[in-house]
Amino acid sequence: MTIKYKSIKEIKNMISNKEISNKEVIQEVFSLINEFQDLNAFITLNEENSIKKAEELDNNPSDLPLAGIPIAQKDLFCTKGLRTTCGSNILNNFIPPYSATVIENLENAGCISVGKTNMDEFAMGSSNETSFFGNVKNPWGKNLVPGGSSGGAASAVAAGLVPAATGTDTGGSIRQPASLCGITGIKPTYGRVSRWGMIAFASSLDQAGPMARTAEDCAFMLNEMCSHDEKDTTSLDNEIPDFQENLNSSLKGRKIGIVKDLDLSSLNDDVVEIYQNSLKEFESMGAELVDISLPHLSLSVPAYYVVAPAECSSNLSRFDGVKFGMRSEDAKDLEELYVKTRSEGFGDEVKRRILIGSYVLSAGYYDAYYKKAQQVRRLIKNDFENVFKNIDVIMTPTTRGPAFKIGSKGDDPIQMYLEDLFTISANLAGLPAMSLPNGNIENKPIGLQIIGNFLDENTILNFAHMFQNETNWHMYTPEGIIQ
Amino acid sequence: MDKKTVTTISYLSRLKIDDEKEEKIINDLGNIIEFVDQLNDVDTSEIAPLANPLEKTAKTRKDIVTAKNLKKELLDVAPSANEDYFLVPRVVE
Repeated sequence: MTIKYKSIKEIKNMISNKEISNKEVIQEVFSLINEFQDLNAFITLNEENSIKKAEELDNNPSDLPLAGIPIAQKDLFCTKGLRTTCGSNILNNFIPPYSATVIENLENAGCISVGKTNMDEFAMGSSNETSFFGNVKNPWGKNLVPGGSSGGAASAVAAGLVPAATGTDTGGSIRQPASLCGITGIKPTYGRVSRWGMIAFASSLDQAGPMARTAEDCAFMLNEMCSHDEKDTTSLDNEIPDFQENLNSSLKGRKIGIVKDLDLSSLNDDVVEIYQNSLKEFESMGAELVDISLPHLSLSVPAYYVVAPAECSSNLSRFDGVKFGMRSEDAKDLEELYVKTRSEGFGDEVKRRILIGSYVLSAGYYDAYYKKAQQVRRLIKNDFENVFKNIDVIMTPTTRGPAFKIGSKGDDPIQMYLEDLFTISANLAGLPAMSLPNGNIENKPIGLQIIGNFLDENTILNFAHMFQNETNWHMYTPEGIIQ
Repeated sequence: MDKKTVTTISYLSRLKIDDEKEEKIINDLGNIIEFVDQLNDVDTSEIAPLANPLEKTAKTRKDIVTAKNLKKELLDVAPSANEDYFLVPRVVE
């Protein structure tokens, strides 16, 4: 009896049918993590506490929804008493005195936080190559990137080490690694999940969400992650639905928007064919394809690379070596303490983004860049509002191609930024969006993106679940298809 | 983007750029700014900026103390502190 590649639902059943004890589940997780150490998916493990919690559950069985389920937490969420680095040297030694609301919600639902996953430093990257703790490898090929920034999370789920993980998504950081690792992940509507205790990158874009093997498990996780939180002023107080309630609704007559402004000619031919096959699959389930226009879509990457660095330069000003995190050893005065701590603590990509942020916010450039990008952001949001009057979801490929080789994007930042071409617009508009596996190219998985209307995660999850009922792309693993 | 601009923004960012990396950073930042200059292709003269997708004013809550006093816990994680304060290099001679 193994939990490798099992979904949350399957592990729950195994525990409740007494096929496996809680302790055996957790022991196997750590033995798998150990076996797959070379993936470098984790920064910090929580072994002792996890085993203890599992033993308590064996002695006092619980009917909480996630009781005993091992979850890997992205190292961007503060975890009380457990080191939280955000992939950065500057937080190398940081042990938070409190947990993020998301972590509290999941642990209150019974989950066991087995460890903290590797990630691009401060979530700035699309390949997990910017982590201070080294590259994460993709289980589909040890020379391939897992995507980023939630690369450790995606790699751990794809390798079957844990059934699910938490991720965060500022410009595609859940969906792009989900696509490159062949798993399912959703970024909810901005404001659905509390950002309290999440280390901030770009506060108007950041949103946490689940990464798992199936849409059904994502819905299950989302039920526990979402809450209205007074500690986050952008937390929504709208009613939170049961995200599993209409997974099986019929797709007959439902409308899928196909973006005609999207230039597919720049994509790998296989990506286009896989995308079109998926659309045919939805048509065969009764859905209709509708051409839509999002005229400002091509400006989403440039708008993002003004807005996100601006917010990052402001958010990361708190890392100064005074209150927490690392401090440079040999500073003579306070000014030097700030400069040396930050210069030694941050990596190159983080520095690049802080500098861009300082530039676009500085006197004389604010209107030309920051204000301009915010105006374009409104145009992009308006485009989405217009098209969602007539359609249920929008579908695009999640990424331009499958996982690329570690180091292959060189050191040209713009090539890396274009990785998020299809995913960024949902963050700018605050919309929910998901990636799910829909094909393989030379034994490398690739994903389909489904973008939904504001607060309409349920429709996305419905389309994704119905697709997973009809196809088996989500059943492929690096070791072959699950029988 | 030139050396002078990079010197100014690195001062504003409290970052020191190593000499051997300076040329690459000037080049990278120049390319990024050139890339985002595409934004000027669209007329936004009548468009209000959008700072946040929710466009709601931050909510206020009742003025009740909910936070616990975590003084000890917070001072414990500081790089340098005494019982009451964070410690930094001397600022007053």
